[in-house]
Amino acid sequence: MIATDPGDAERQTQLLRGALDMCLLALLAREPAHGYELVRRVEAAGFDGVGYGTVYPLLTRMRRLGLVADELQASPAGPPRKVYALTAAGRARLGSWQQQWARFVGVVDAMLSDTVTESPRS
Amino acid sequence: MDPIDDALATADRAWRQHGVQRADREALAADLRLDLESAAADGVAPERLLGEDVSTFARRLADEAGVRREPPELGRLIGTTLTGAALGAAVGYAFFVLFFQVAARTFDMPRGTHVPVQVAVAVFYGIPAVIVVVGAVTAVRYHLRALPRIRATVHAMCLLLPLAGIVITPITMGFAALTGFSTWAPVVLTEMLLVLAALAGATVLARRWALREQAGMRQTSTA
Repeated sequence: MIATDPGDAERQTQLLRGALDMCLLALLAREPAHGYELVRRVEAAGFDGVGYGTVYPLLTRMRRLGLVADELQASPAGPPRKVYALTAAGRARLGSWQQQWARFVGVVDAMLSDTVTESPRS
Repeated sequence: MDPIDDALATADRAWRQHGVQRADREALAADLRLDLESAAADGVAPERLLGEDVSTFARRLADEAGVRREPPELGRLIGTTLTGAALGAAVGYAFFVLFFQVAARTFDMPRGTHVPVQVAVAVFYGIPAVIVVVGAVTAVRYHLRALPRIRATVHAMCLLLPLAGIVITPITMGFAALTGFSTWAPVVLTEMLLVLAALAGATVLARRWALREQAGMRQTSTA
């Protein structure tokens, strides 16, 4: 997990709020997945505070927007699974979001690198 | 009960309260069931996946899915109906007293004139009952005019409230007869509660009818 104390966790949640949909698209771009599998991948990537209760509704919204499509696939063990994959629109959106993110991170990095930590004024 | 069925039943209740229509509820539940069954096949129980607050999850899911919501607003609807009915009852009672006095002073009915009991009942009970219904319906129509499908709800109420009155009147009269037409407060209170319950029940049915009709029309147009 990236965040350690409760304050960090709250801040991380806020940061993630604006980026989680992009992260999910990126994960699905690598390989289609069903809902629960996607949660595991998010955890494996380092965000283990993100639960199914967050991921599944988001996935549903992205499907409504046509960014992902679902397909029933037979499973070797257990019931058939609804697997989500990126659509062409989802791939295009991911590309534009990645560019936007790179610009955003560049600006933030530049600001942070210019910052000189001063001792507090008395 | 199976944990997946249990979770879906909780979600369905939340969706109903959230105003999600039946077709959308069924679609959401079918999708969620598939995912929960996939996770269960991997050894993950629904409660671990969804956490303790399934209702919040379900409402969020419905919002993200962009389903059309039509909250029944039953609490406000019943409150407004009963308030309107109470005002109507007050007006009806005033009419009853006034009409009786004016009629007694104005018309000197010849001896031996027989007034059919149906006419007497229609005048002395029917007219106040109509005023009660008009009070309830008018209150809902104007006070809750911003609610979706309120016109259809009012139309259904115009049919169901009188029917409820026709059904509950003999029941209440029967209860009154059983208690010897007692004026003891708990008896009178029970009689009032019977009538109010009938009005509230008819209002709920009218609202459900109006919303179901809308859902049916939407399904037909998308078919």
